Amino acid sequence: MLLLTIQSFFSSLIPIFLFLFCHVRGVSASDYFEQLNLKPLPHLSLLASFDFRSNTTFSQFEAQSYRYFPRSLGQILQHVGTKELHLRFSLGRWDAESWGARPWDGTREGGTGVELWAWLEADTDEEADHKWLTLTNALSGLFCASLNFIDQTRTIRPAMSFRPEGDHPNSTLENTHLLHGVLPHEVVCTENLTPFLKLLPCKGKSGISSLLDGHKLFDASWQSMAIDIRPVCPPSGGECVLEIEQTIDMVLDIERSKRPRGNPIPRPPPGHDLKCNTSKPYHSGDTCFPADLLDSQDWTLDQVFGKTMKGTCPLTDPNVPPVCIQAPERRDVYTTGGVTEYKDPSGLSRCYQIPPDSEFSLVLPRMPREGENAKTDADEMVVPETPLLYAERSFTGHGQERGGVQSILTNPSPDTEVEFIYMESLPWFMRIYLHTLKTRIEGISGNNEDVIEEIYYRPALDRARGTQLELRMRIPPASTVFLTYDFEKTILRYTEYPPDANRGFDVAASVITILPSSDPNAPPARQKTSNLRTTSLLLSLPTPDFSMPYNVIIFTSTAIALAFGGLYNILVRRFVAADEGPEVDVTGIKGKIIHGVMGLLKKIKGAKGKLE
Amino acid sequence: MPNVQSFSALRARSYVIRLPLFTRVIIVVMVAFWLAGLQSVWDLQQWGALIPEELGIRTMYRINTFPLIHLNFFHAFLNILALTPLLERFETEFGTLTSLALFFGPLTTIPAFIYVFLERMVLRGNTPVMGASIWVFLLLGMEAIRTYKMNPHLVIGTHHVPTWITPLVMVLVVEALMPSSSLIGHLCGVGTGYLFGLGYLKFTAPPEKALRWIEGRLNLLGRLPHYVSVDQKTYGRFGVLPTSTSNSGTTPLESSTKAPSTNTRRAMPRLLSTALLLRRDPRLLKLPPYLSLLCIIVGVVWLFMLPLDNYSRRTYISENALLPGQVHTYFGGSDQNVFRAYRHEVDALKDKSNSEINDELENIFKGVGLKVGRQNYTYHSAGNTYAGENVYAILQAPRGDATEALVLVAAWKNVKDEFNRNGLALALALIRYFKRWSLWSKDIILVVPPDSTTGTQAWADAYHDAHDSSQVASLPIKSGALQGAIAIDYPQEGRFESVHIVYDGVNGQLPNLDLINAVANIASGQMGMGTSLQEMWRHSDKYNDRLKTMLRGMLNQGLGYAVGPHSSFIPYHVDAITIQPVGQGWHDEMGLGRLVEGTFRSLNNLLEHLHQSFFFYLLMHKDRFVSIGTYLPSAMLIAANFTIMAIFLWIKSGRRVAAIVPADGAKESQEKQQDEPAAAQAPTTAVERDMFLPLALVVGSQFLGAVPLFIFNHTPSNLLGPAFATFSILNLLLPHLVSASGLLATFTPQQYDLARSFSLLLLGMFLSTLATLNFSLAFLVGLLASPLTFARPWPGNPLARYAYEALLALVAPPTTAVLAAVAAGTGSSGLEGLGGLEGLGGLGDALKQAAFAWDVWGVYTPVIVWGVWWPAWLVGAVVVLGRPREGKEKMS
Repeated sequence: MLLLTIQSFFSSLIPIFLFLFCHVRGVSASDYFEQLNLKPLPHLSLLASFDFRSNTTFSQFEAQSYRYFPRSLGQILQHVGTKELHLRFSLGRWDAESWGARPWDGTREGGTGVELWAWLEADTDEEADHKWLTLTNALSGLFCASLNFIDQTRTIRPAMSFRPEGDHPNSTLENTHLLHGVLPHEVVCTENLTPFLKLLPCKGKSGISSLLDGHKLFDASWQSMAIDIRPVCPPSGGECVLEIEQTIDMVLDIERSKRPRGNPIPRPPPGHDLKCNTSKPYHSGDTCFPADLLDSQDWTLDQVFGKTMKGTCPLTDPNVPPVCIQAPERRDVYTTGGVTEYKDPSGLSRCYQIPPDSEFSLVLPRMPREGENAKTDADEMVVPETPLLYAERSFTGHGQERGGVQSILTNPSPDTEVEFIYMESLPWFMRIYLHTLKTRIEGISGNNEDVIEEIYYRPALDRARGTQLELRMRIPPASTVFLTYDFEKTILRYTEYPPDANRGFDVAASVITILPSSDPNAPPARQKTSNLRTTSLLLSLPTPDFSMPYNVIIFTSTAIALAFGGLYNILVRRFVAADEGPEVDVTGIKGKIIHGVMGLLKKIKGAKGKLE
Repeated sequence: MPNVQSFSALRARSYVIRLPLFTRVIIVVMVAFWLAGLQSVWDLQQWGALIPEELGIRTMYRINTFPLIHLNFFHAFLNILALTPLLERFETEFGTLTSLALFFGPLTTIPAFIYVFLERMVLRGNTPVMGASIWVFLLLGMEAIRTYKMNPHLVIGTHHVPTWITPLVMVLVVEALMPSSSLIGHLCGVGTGYLFGLGYLKFTAPPEKALRWIEGRLNLLGRLPHYVSVDQKTYGRFGVLPTSTSNSGTTPLESSTKAPSTNTRRAMPRLLSTALLLRRDPRLLKLPPYLSLLCIIVGVVWLFMLPLDNYSRRTYISENALLPGQVHTYFGGSDQNVFRAYRHEVDALKDKSNSEINDELENIFKGVGLKVGRQNYTYHSAGNTYAGENVYAILQAPRGDATEALVLVAAWKNVKDEFNRNGLALALALIRYFKRWSLWSKDIILVVPPDSTTGTQAWADAYHDAHDSSQVASLPIKSGALQGAIAIDYPQEGRFESVHIVYDGVNGQLPNLDLINAVANIASGQMGMGTSLQEMWRHSDKYNDRLKTMLRGMLNQGLGYAVGPHSSFIPYHVDAITIQPVGQGWHDEMGLGRLVEGTFRSLNNLLEHLHQSFFFYLLMHKDRFVSIGTYLPSAMLIAANFTIMAIFLWIKSGRRVAAIVPADGAKESQEKQQDEPAAAQAPTTAVERDMFLPLALVVGSQFLGAVPLFIFNHTPSNLLGPAFATFSILNLLLPHLVSASGLLATFTPQQYDLARSFSLLLLGMFLSTLATLNFSLAFLVGLLASPLTFARPWPGNPLARYAYEALLALVAPPTTAVLAAVAAGTGSSGLEGLGGLEGLGGLGDALKQAAFAWDVWGVYTPVIVWGVWWPAWLVGAVVVLGRPREGKEKMS
């Protein structure tokens, strides 16, 4: 029934086999373009990658003439001499085991919370620090995030991990400084999305950005918002441009996203709506072995995003189709009318060119899993690529005094080794013992060569700076490396604990930069730098009971001050009778009163005398 | 006046002996009135109190009686304590007759009339007053005026505070600190005191001539002891004039800095001599055994007072973030269909092997979309091998970042080895339901161990990397810090009536009280289920049931073994409980599911680790508990009894036995000598302590404790019973063997004292430390070891010796174990003889359990029994059998 309506509705669907180069890198003809990439993932998930890119020539930028480039950001960059800037807001975790390799090779994502790194032009370190402070404070206001809390203790200067992405002339690169800061505890939410959308030329009013909605974005299983600003010079020569690329990636749980906004509670469905495994012998009206996860994906664009797409952004490059979906050719996909479909020759993706003013939606109907035309997962979605490296990090040990960190790094490739840089930026109150840094290798190769090739270590200074640890490592094929080190927990000062001290302290994710393979015959995925981040950790420090000593001290001090003082005074005072003690001149109150009255009388008399 | 520094017992005694007559009479009268007020037939307080409305011509006696009558013991005691020195001073100054006349005349009536006037005319109230505090403040007021005359100001910084306001400050302090004290009454007293001190009331005193006449006619001075004559009256204290009255020119500050230095110089030798005197006072040395006994009695009585309303508290939710029962729970409806299907799946696996079960469970977990891990473990204990494989699934919080996690445990079998059929099916249905929510801030881990005793232990150990990797495998996947764990134990079929919360952890550690309260709150407030604790299925919330619940809790805590699958989490500071449905009622599985859902929603709210509420408590009802501050003194007193005795024995061993002077004859001479230096009073009685042999005995027995500890934890389980029987008999014979062997033939009484002292010192030290870790264990061991306090050699009395030895044999650690087993058997079967035999049979199992607890759970109770209790018992038993050699100690 549903299928019929759709077919009658979209009868004008014309398949056009046209190859279009989607990945427009470098300088494009237009100054702005946007694209949404949808990718169905296993376990009823859907990856949606939004990409917005605009640029401005340096001459215009210097003249403060902004067209697509956001003025608010441009002025900040000019003020602090930022050559390249990367800002990340992330939430949730990427399930590499089911979802495979990360979008953008992991280069457009950050650790949980907020991450910022930038190349600043400065002559000295002090000047760079000063500019960094200005930058974080300005960005903090612009993005409604606590970026101003990135102070000296959270700032590091990575030595090996980050490389500039833009085309910088060698002269500027010499006196630029790379600074990096993370806020793992920052909760990314709607207030960060609004300023993000405001930077876009179409401001979320039309085009793919009209799909972005805080409710859906922050209900996603994983999401990452990124801003990258870098200079790009055309390889052919010509004027260099400053490019700002804003990306939003999110993995939607289709079941959850499809729930209507007015009724988001996952109440149990009526018994007859349950998807059951009917092959079970006990299957009956009131007994149902659930089989919903094995089911095929069935969604429409307006269902999962909660609204339809309002045409295209009029400013965007008309040659770039705004919506693409990565699904095998065998997957049925329907669209609203007036839409042109371009299929990729590889048969794994297709793109849609949308008429400017019509509303757009996409329908992926249920694929039958049983019966004559039974389809499998392979018919429905592109098999996820295996990532180059799996990384997992957790704490070991227990107690309030010491702990350890264990990172498990697995190279899944059966024949290729992987070389990468592992970077940790740890808070100063986690004092690591570098001599306990050990690696243990498990795998087929089993050779005992040291996997760590180079160590860059900058120890922490209490209350001044955190630990920076960068390791260049090489893992042989099909092996797992266990990287462990121990640390000691510091007792903080009373006032250094945050308001919810017993929660613990968040430790930023470690950043893994996989270096491009030096072998020219390597597959394209290995020719690029790719990134990977572990989850953040929660470090519990010894925490005092804040209320109890306070109560006890106050109560006992009061009691002692009041009661003990008086009693002690009376107990230790030596009492002597009045006639044996020294004479007191004005004997008591009586004398004083008499004295006062006499004085008063004298005055009155004196006054009278004067009058007369 | 004696100050704090130069306080000495002798002086205090002589002070009391020299109290003048009127003061004595007043004290006696007050005590008599207090005693008279104890009976309930006649309301003394109503008769004698100063009640403004009641005051008429016929009830004028109240004006004189009210200071003598008190509200209760503390009121009387404190007032007497405060009044005595002041009244004594007054009397020695003015004479007994004057005091009598004044205190039954103007000094009582004037403040009383002022009070009645104020209360009736001004305030229009009718507050009855009684007690001697009015005199106390009156006298304080007088003293203050006197001080003021001599020393008008107290200089604090640059402020001159007149000294006469001290009593007023005192009045305010007393008003603030003492409940129901009368401010106006006290002020009336102080006011009258001021008037008297200033001399305005001197006219009310009887004329001196008349007093002399009376005195002379009646010969009062000769007839009455402690009578203070009119002529005898003194000025200043004790007739001692101030040493330096010429300090009028110096400022108060100067004089105050000068005074202490001279004071201390004078006080130090005096202090030393009085301390020496005190040490040699024979009466003092008789005190400690009684003090020890008192400690034991008070400690036990204290414990039995706890269930009373006044000593226990109602439970409350301390962590506001928990918000128990504030959310709607939606588990139900078609989820029941799923539950039934999972129950069929679980039923089908009933007789499969551990790994087959886990294979199937892994499939179910993966079907729901969870990450699955498996873990193998093998434990060896008492010759048995316990192997198994845990399977667990992690539901990753949809928007979380693996920093925190909650645990749901559904063991395949519960602690009683019953098939946890419904519990596991419910946990599977719940985790599938939880997957639909996006609100989880923490990961949820469902752990399915093959049994409740080893599996969770292996899992919790490996999660915190505290495992021995040769026995327990590491976990392949992990999540963040565990914030709480709930175990479902639901083997029973059909509907249930209430839930039973099991909360004891390994080694008597307890989960945060907030967790228990939250579950009890959700169960009763939202689900309408009852909650029971410690297998008290029917609880009347009366004293008996509360006591029973508390004692059961203490027994579990004292033994320190794991009572459920949750127990293994608690040592890692993960708060955990087991929920068991019990009884026959109308709640179904879905209700239990909603209870777990509500609990998880509450825990999910937590921003911080559970830390607000108590970790040390005794629960006696689902909403009554005692916190550590209230119950700890009980065990501490029992532990202190050993320490007191140890110190006493140490002091005693340093004195010659013969030096204990006869009490009667020396009395008079002592009184004469009391002001002379102590050294001259008595010949030196210190003796050298011969410590080597007693120390060797105590240390040897401590080391010997390692032998039973090793035997009972390393013997194969089939030999445990015989080994225990052999050890028990050997243990009873050991003291006799030691004493018969002649090892101790050279022991003098002093050496016996020293051995006891060392042994008791260790015992007291260990137990008081243990009381802070495991209160119940410290209390139980302390109570069972309390006869050791009084174990001493009975050289001349074989009957007493063997009787005491028999008593000690009864409280020996192995005998206690046997008796406990018999009692448990009797209690469970109900048949006297048969149950006892069954209990003995169960002893072997209990020993196997103990070895298992030691090897797997790391329970330290055996160390306490064999390393603390048993060595002390051994020394005690040897001492009782000892026949000290009468020898002469070396003089120092």
